[in-house]
Amino acid sequence: MNIFTLNIVLAVAWAALTGNVTLSGLAVGFALGSAALYVTRPLFPGSDRYFKRVWLWSKLIVLFLYELVVSSVQVIWDVLTPQHKARPGIIAMPLDAKGEMEILLVTNLISLTPGTLSLDVTDDCNTLYIHAMFADDPDAIRAQLKGGMERWVIEAME
Amino acid sequence: MAEIVMAALVLLGGFFCFVAGLGVLRLPDVLIRMHASTKAGTLGSGLILAAVAVYFADTATITRAVATILFLLITAPVAAHMIGRAAFRSGVELWKTKIEDDAERKLNR
Amino acid sequence: MDILKTAVDISFVMVMLGVAFAFVRLIKGPSLPDRIVALDMMTVLIVSFCGLYAILSEDTAFVDVAIVLALVGFLATVALARFVERRVVRRDRAQAADAVAPTTGEGDV
Repeated sequence: MNIFTLNIVLAVAWAALTGNVTLSGLAVGFALGSAALYVTRPLFPGSDRYFKRVWLWSKLIVLFLYELVVSSVQVIWDVLTPQHKARPGIIAMPLDAKGEMEILLVTNLISLTPGTLSLDVTDDCNTLYIHAMFADDPDAIRAQLKGGMERWVIEAME
Repeated sequence: MAEIVMAALVLLGGFFCFVAGLGVLRLPDVLIRMHASTKAGTLGSGLILAAVAVYFADTATITRAVATILFLLITAPVAAHMIGRAAFRSGVELWKTKIEDDAERKLNR
Repeated sequence: MDILKTAVDISFVMVMLGVAFAFVRLIKGPSLPDRIVALDMMTVLIVSFCGLYAILSEDTAFVDVAIVLALVGFLATVALARFVERRVVRRDRAQAADAVAPTTGEGDV
């Protein structure tokens, strides 16, 4: 997080020096600052980890937005076609994510990804119950969520 | 150019909102309806607020629009989770739903 | 400017149709969770309505309205969901009490 502070200082410096203290000015400064930090990586121990985290978080955000669009299209398809093709089911999924923040992220992301809605977590935080819209193959859904969202969240949080 | 982007955002957002409303009316049971309201509704509002941010294009409005989008993205799943759990526990009728394992006992249905 | 205004007008119609559909679901029910989902959906749709109106009237104040509405709507949904859950707990307790009461009654006879 130290490198992150440095990056913000660089962004503020850029905005102040160009006399353009607006959101876009700060954003340009932040982008340029992170580029400069990326070039001078050998000078700052720990900045490799910072860039890896940034990469993982941006991957999480982009994949999440993509999944949100896919899931909306899927819902639209089921709403607009005359017959309901949904075969709903409630599935139990063991959780690998530890800690409240990780579980919160996983459950929220699962709610916004295609065909699944998190229902409840057991009191011991080990199992997540999911309502799936197309539950023909519960194991496939479990595998998809574990290898997808949950793994990305754990990677980004570590 | 920016105008066409905004028009596309507004139209897509409106369409998603429309379908979300239709889904809430048409789909067969509470939990399936929540799929429509959480996903399509959030995406529709998000797209329209993004169009607002592009249209005004000043710092204050962009910040507020982005804050609203983030807030919707955070709260929609939380609200859905709470209603879903309450609905499942109160024992509403579920349409052709396969319930796996011992979910009913574990969740105190 | 014309393309955007037309798009906003069309989008208005679609969002209002969405609200109307959700309102029909609010009236039809059949259970309390159904109604909460419909109410939640209407809040999210009116948030996007505020965004559209901000573009139409070129007044950023409606973005603030959207934020506040999103906040209050979320609180309302959470409160209603908790209410449903409480009611379930109370019902279970009442059933447990009913199950106990007849056996003691027989003991008296």
